[in-house]
Amino acid sequence: MVLEDCDEDFYTLQDAVRFATLPHCIVRASSGDECLLLLRDESNGQKDLPKLVLLDLHTPGDDGRKVLNEIRRDDRFKTLPVIVLSTSDNPIDIKFCYSNGANAYHVKPVDHGLHLHALQQIFNYWLGSASLLV
Amino acid sequence: MQIKLFKLSIAGFIQHSYELFAKKARHIMNKQVAKDFTLPWGQEPYSAKRHGVTLKTCDSEPVNTPGCIQAHGALLVLRKSDLQILQASENTLEILGVAAGELLGQPVGRVVGIKHEENLRDMLEQKPLEHSVTYAFTLSELTNGRELDVCVHTIDGVAVLEFETTGRTESHPEGNFFMMVQAAVGRLQTPSSINTFCQQVTQEIRAITGLDRVMAYRFHADLHGEVIAESKSDALEPLLGLHYPATDIPQPAREIYKRLWIRPLPDATGPLVELLPLANPDNGKALDMTFCALRGASVMYTEYLANMGAAASLTMPIMRDNELWGLIACQHNSPTHFPYQIRAACELLAQVASLQLKTAEYAEQLAYRLKMENIHHQLAVRSASEGDLLALTAYQPSLLDAIDAGGVALYHLNRWWCIGNVPETVQLDALANWLYEQPELESSDRPIFVTDTLASLCPSAVGLEDMASGVLATVFSRRRRGLLIWFRPETMQTVNWAGNPDDKPMISGPHGMRLSPRVSFELFIESVRGRSLPWLEVEIDAALRLRLLILELVISRGERLTELNADLTRSNEELDAFAYVASHDLKEPLRGIHRYAHQLLENAKSTDRENQVRVNNLMRLTVRMDSLLDSLLHYSRVGRMDLDFEDADLNAVVEDAIEMIGARRLNSECSIEIPRLMPIFNCDQLRVREIYSNLLTNAQKYKRDNHASIEVGYIAADEQAERPNAPAEAAGKMIFYVRDNGIGIEQRHFELVFRLFKRMHGRDDYGGGVGAGLTIVQKLVQRHGGQVWLDSNIGIGTTFYFTLSSLSVS
Repeated sequence: MVLEDCDEDFYTLQDAVRFATLPHCIVRASSGDECLLLLRDESNGQKDLPKLVLLDLHTPGDDGRKVLNEIRRDDRFKTLPVIVLSTSDNPIDIKFCYSNGANAYHVKPVDHGLHLHALQQIFNYWLGSASLLV
Repeated sequence: MQIKLFKLSIAGFIQHSYELFAKKARHIMNKQVAKDFTLPWGQEPYSAKRHGVTLKTCDSEPVNTPGCIQAHGALLVLRKSDLQILQASENTLEILGVAAGELLGQPVGRVVGIKHEENLRDMLEQKPLEHSVTYAFTLSELTNGRELDVCVHTIDGVAVLEFETTGRTESHPEGNFFMMVQAAVGRLQTPSSINTFCQQVTQEIRAITGLDRVMAYRFHADLHGEVIAESKSDALEPLLGLHYPATDIPQPAREIYKRLWIRPLPDATGPLVELLPLANPDNGKALDMTFCALRGASVMYTEYLANMGAAASLTMPIMRDNELWGLIACQHNSPTHFPYQIRAACELLAQVASLQLKTAEYAEQLAYRLKMENIHHQLAVRSASEGDLLALTAYQPSLLDAIDAGGVALYHLNRWWCIGNVPETVQLDALANWLYEQPELESSDRPIFVTDTLASLCPSAVGLEDMASGVLATVFSRRRRGLLIWFRPETMQTVNWAGNPDDKPMISGPHGMRLSPRVSFELFIESVRGRSLPWLEVEIDAALRLRLLILELVISRGERLTELNADLTRSNEELDAFAYVASHDLKEPLRGIHRYAHQLLENAKSTDRENQVRVNNLMRLTVRMDSLLDSLLHYSRVGRMDLDFEDADLNAVVEDAIEMIGARRLNSECSIEIPRLMPIFNCDQLRVREIYSNLLTNAQKYKRDNHASIEVGYIAADEQAERPNAPAEAAGKMIFYVRDNGIGIEQRHFELVFRLFKRMHGRDDYGGGVGAGLTIVQKLVQRHGGQVWLDSNIGIGTTFYFTLSSLSVS
């Protein structure tokens, strides 16, 4: 599950998934509201819960912070790994996310190569190395 | 003892001398003479005429039973029950036409006639005459042709008749006289201040009596007296404004005036006339003449008046709440008459003066209070508009124009602000420390300390009596030691004391040695040394209200600060929001541009070389834009972040900075020397590390040849060293520096280098950079309360200097 309002950034993310040759399917939400809606949809038993949630912080509607809060407040999503991807390197944002249960916080580099590399690392780690709840 | 201003003075001198010579006691006012003293008159009835007094016996003089009257009138003592004459003054032949010896045992009708005897009987039955001298009738059918006013009063079972010549009817025809008194009383109804009121009283009394000098004499709280009003003939020297020692008027004399409204002595040089017999034949007692207008005066007093050149005196008390507040003292240069009519008018005026005194006091206090309040208010308004308490002492009118004081000292903003005569700063500090220990200043609603004898209480004030005998102090901020002190000098330095130092100390009189005013004066100086005029209740109140005004000022300033802080917080939040926009909204498209450029470069291998360069440039520009945005964000955060002050070992801080910039790497082409150990300093070490890393980065970048030689060091506050271009604020502070041997900076650019994004060289020369490093250094230094500046020579090198807060630990 990816919350990302910026198309370019989403494309970069898709590229990263492709280069990492991951079998996972990506569900995109462009706003916080949509993201929460999709998550709750999936939790109704129709679909599987996402393996990993990637949140952009600054999104239309409910922003990433709100989504993070909602996820951590909901018993069904408590165990979901949530990774924040943001342009901001503001310590206030970073502190907020970790305080509110984010599993990791990454600043998106402007350099496309670096950006791609960072995303690949995230996927490799969370969907490869780390043990997640099945 | 007759009582009168100057009479009182001499009584004081005498009493002083007695104490001084016989007892050497300090406090003399209420001391009594030893009872075993052998009196010249032994067990016999006393006669002032026969026995007189000397310096040694004056304290024992039975002033109320002198046995004698003044010669201008006659006196008869009647048994109250049958109005038989028990005693008569020896001069009845002259005054009444019958010798005293012939009158004894006779009914009073023998002198006044049957009709007046009946009058007297009626009066004694119907009127309250005990201790109350009352006009009875005028006796006109005398064999000697005299016309006499007769006054009567009763005391101890006898009726006392006093006969005096009716006088002054020529100058004051009856109708006019009473209109005159009435008008005088009318004029005394609207007093504006005590002094003007008393001045009015003296003028009215002089107009009625026609005497040479009429004075109003006021007792201060320490009982010393001051001539506050005077009406006199032009020929006389003024006594207005003179102060007299308290001891000039002994307590017993003051007590007498609580019972009497008037003491006349129309002919001080006249002879005394004894009563025949001296003692009442019924009980063997001497007549108590306390209330007799004719009572014979003490020779001590008449002598003193004669020395003064005064031949007559008239004295009336001014009472306030049953206390003797002052005296109306009159004197005349030649013997005169004080007929009953005049005495009654003067008594009336004295009573009116006493009744109106409180009104006058109130009016004066109100005026004084209004003046103080008005000035204090003006000062508070000025202080408020200037946002500072300094206006209290800096302008006219100042604090000195409100509460009457010699000097005022205000402790505010860690220093003293003074006006008028005040002690030195060191002495003020000591006094402030002492004041803070006084429990009075700990009161929450009345934190005020008042004394008129500071040196006797506060050891550190000894020696400051000339300016700080009196102190009125109030605290307006205990935490910040905000203190306001009014000072008053020693009384003896502020007033004109009566008593001429050139007088001979002792003079010999017909009755033995006499003290001159000079001795009295010197004795008195001892009693007022180190004492100021007392602080009035209205002054204390005014000080307390000023304190409230100051508190309001301080509080409203606090509120303003709170508002400013709120504004600041708001604008900081807005700045944050702006920085956010810069961070996110500007960077997002930048990332997109970079991505497309990247893809262009990857996917279109066929693109010609020229286009590849363009795309590369595009990508490089986006990265640069990104750095600029980062620097901007960082700069905005540096200005607002909270600093975390602690004692930091700057050696470690500098080492970390060097490590961060990689200057110690083998191929760094850079050497850094630290000539001596850096100190431990109270600062935010992360920020100071950033200062060093930025300065070192610069030093490393702008090298002249392939090798940068950098020195990191400091100049201690008290160290002898050159401090080129150091700003004034850096004086007395430790100065840190980073020196390089690089390309140098032109002097005209010394200020410019600190400007955000300002670069002195081409964008990619000297390792590139966005031009924010020095701006951030400057901001960080400023946040530490310091300054940063530089000294540089082209082709030789640059030294950046900076100070941090002045709190050096070691």
